[in-house]
Amino acid sequence: MTSQENPLGRIYILPQAIKSVARHSALQSYGVISLAPSNMIEAIGQFFNRHNNYGITVSSDNEGIAIELNIIIEYGLRIKTVADSVAESVKYNVEKTMGIPVTRVDVHVRGLRISNPD
Amino acid sequence: MNEKLSAMLSEAERHKLVDSPVDGKGLMLLFEAGLVRLTANQPYVNSLNVFPVPDGDTGTNMVLTMQAALKEAEMRQSENIGEMAHAIAQGALMGARGNSGVILSQIWRGFARALDHYDTMDSALFVRAMQEARNTAYKGVVRPVEGTILTVIKDMTSAAEEAAKRGAALHEILAEIVRAGDESVRRTPELLPILKQACVVDSGGTGLYYIFEGMLRFIEGQPLDVSTVVAKPLSEMVLENTLESIEEGQDYEVVIDFTPTDKFSLENYYSGLSEIGTSIQVGEGDGLYRMHIHVPLEKRFAPIEYTEGLGTIKKVAMENLQDQVKSRKDEKEPIKLAPVTPGQIAVVAVSPGDGISRIFASLGVAAIVTGGQTMNPSVKEIVAAFENLPTDKIIILPNNKNIILAAQNAAKVSVKNIVVIPTRNAPQGFAAMLRLIPDGTLEENEEAMLEAIQEVHTGEITTATRDVAIDGVEVEKGNVIAMLDGKLVYSNHTLEGALFGLLEKANLDAFERLTFFYGEEMTPNQVNQLVDQVREKYPDLDIEVHEGGQPYYQLIIAIE
Repeated sequence: MTSQENPLGRIYILPQAIKSVARHSALQSYGVISLAPSNMIEAIGQFFNRHNNYGITVSSDNEGIAIELNIIIEYGLRIKTVADSVAESVKYNVEKTMGIPVTRVDVHVRGLRISNPD
Repeated sequence: MNEKLSAMLSEAERHKLVDSPVDGKGLMLLFEAGLVRLTANQPYVNSLNVFPVPDGDTGTNMVLTMQAALKEAEMRQSENIGEMAHAIAQGALMGARGNSGVILSQIWRGFARALDHYDTMDSALFVRAMQEARNTAYKGVVRPVEGTILTVIKDMTSAAEEAAKRGAALHEILAEIVRAGDESVRRTPELLPILKQACVVDSGGTGLYYIFEGMLRFIEGQPLDVSTVVAKPLSEMVLENTLESIEEGQDYEVVIDFTPTDKFSLENYYSGLSEIGTSIQVGEGDGLYRMHIHVPLEKRFAPIEYTEGLGTIKKVAMENLQDQVKSRKDEKEPIKLAPVTPGQIAVVAVSPGDGISRIFASLGVAAIVTGGQTMNPSVKEIVAAFENLPTDKIIILPNNKNIILAAQNAAKVSVKNIVVIPTRNAPQGFAAMLRLIPDGTLEENEEAMLEAIQEVHTGEITTATRDVAIDGVEVEKGNVIAMLDGKLVYSNHTLEGALFGLLEKANLDAFERLTFFYGEEMTPNQVNQLVDQVREKYPDLDIEVHEGGQPYYQLIIAIE
């Protein structure tokens, strides 16, 4: 949980809120086909609940927040560049909407979707 | 590179490229022309970059991606167009830089797939390649954002399809693609609001346009490496900004009017500015240029110094955007109504003015209907206010004797359980609200509220609209009249006179507190002067003043 002080009290931003911004921004990023469950528990949870909290982990310390993304990329794209762009875009959008510095974005490419093998 | 290109092709050869199917060598020339054109406009494309991340590198990324594509093609040197297209796609893929580079590589990948196993490309194949390019580009993203390079390739392809239906030749199709691309780029701010706010068109789409425009210019024998950055006419510059989304760190807006020296180059000027800030616009009229830019605090004088070296500055305007955003936010906060959880009691209050609405909201009212003297809300309006609340226990506070009936009718037509507390004015409504127990039963709340409204007395001060004599008080039209609990008690020529007459009649010894709600016609100063006099005369009373914002009534006074 991340919190900020203001004259009336504290503002707490829960990981869930950060996740939804990160998720939206990741899925808008070119080349990202979907998020992927990062472990078996998430995979099972996704299978039964169809919830969409999987694939993103958020942790925070005094410096700011660190985000981990698990993504599936479209086959045929330069993976490193797609990963760079998604990391950049997630960092930018989370910082812009939440006002908290993002210190790290780790991207795990969990798979590729092949729609055109050529 | 442009000279190299022109040297390579004589006029006759260029016509050959236009009239006959394109082979591998021709394709490479077209791509080279596209790159030269894009490179010439690279600073301009960079300056447009606000989406998805405003880092000003779209032009650079696209140029680097195209360079990698052509390097691969140069190594292949094949007459076969399919092979060359694949080399280009492969090079673009390996060298893709940035978001726009990745999309560009995907476009060429689709383009190449359509040319598989072909030696040359005719107009029909060209259209198919464009279609495949578009489809492949869209496959790379699950939530395509329109108003970007994707929209531009889509519009270009539709234009190519249309042209092919009319039986257009290859170079005519290319001309159509360029025309549609230009239009599509201009339309991007309509589709992507962030572009409109920053007063730019999409950068990636613009880059793609320049690539195709370069191909067309090459075929038509026009120069490639001149920048087409043109200043808009001054009248077309839209400088008012929507303040909601100022780019992070771009705190100052600087607008400079200047007349440039003879050596002034707009392209260089743009590229210089793009290193200082974002949202760059330059307009021109009668030799006078106007430049608009957003810059961070520490760079707020940089555009002035930079422009000074290039011309004579006539006028400078600088604005702190963050401050503007702040003051706009301070202006008026929306009224925050109390949230209702199912099963709880929700209160609907009729309120004559903004200030009174705010007080009701702060006391926990779940819905507010605007209405009061001479503007009675309809039954339908009252029902609409509570119909969608997630509870079936509703209390209505009409807060005006003329609205009690409408409130009772609203209670009859709704299926919800409704109690109308016959409050005749706002202070009674407030008193009732103070007794609200949201988790209690309707009956106990009703009982407590009815008791509360007996305890509060209300004074109202307004201006008479006609001559009348009621209860022994003679009133002339235009007089200020005072009412106590709805009964006319005093009339005077001045507001002050009416107020003190009212307080006299109210027998204030029995009460502890006066709360004034002043109407929309009163200024805080006027009210404070009046209230100071009241304090002097009645030193033992607690006196509070609030903005009520109600029309017609200069003052509504709660007497407790």
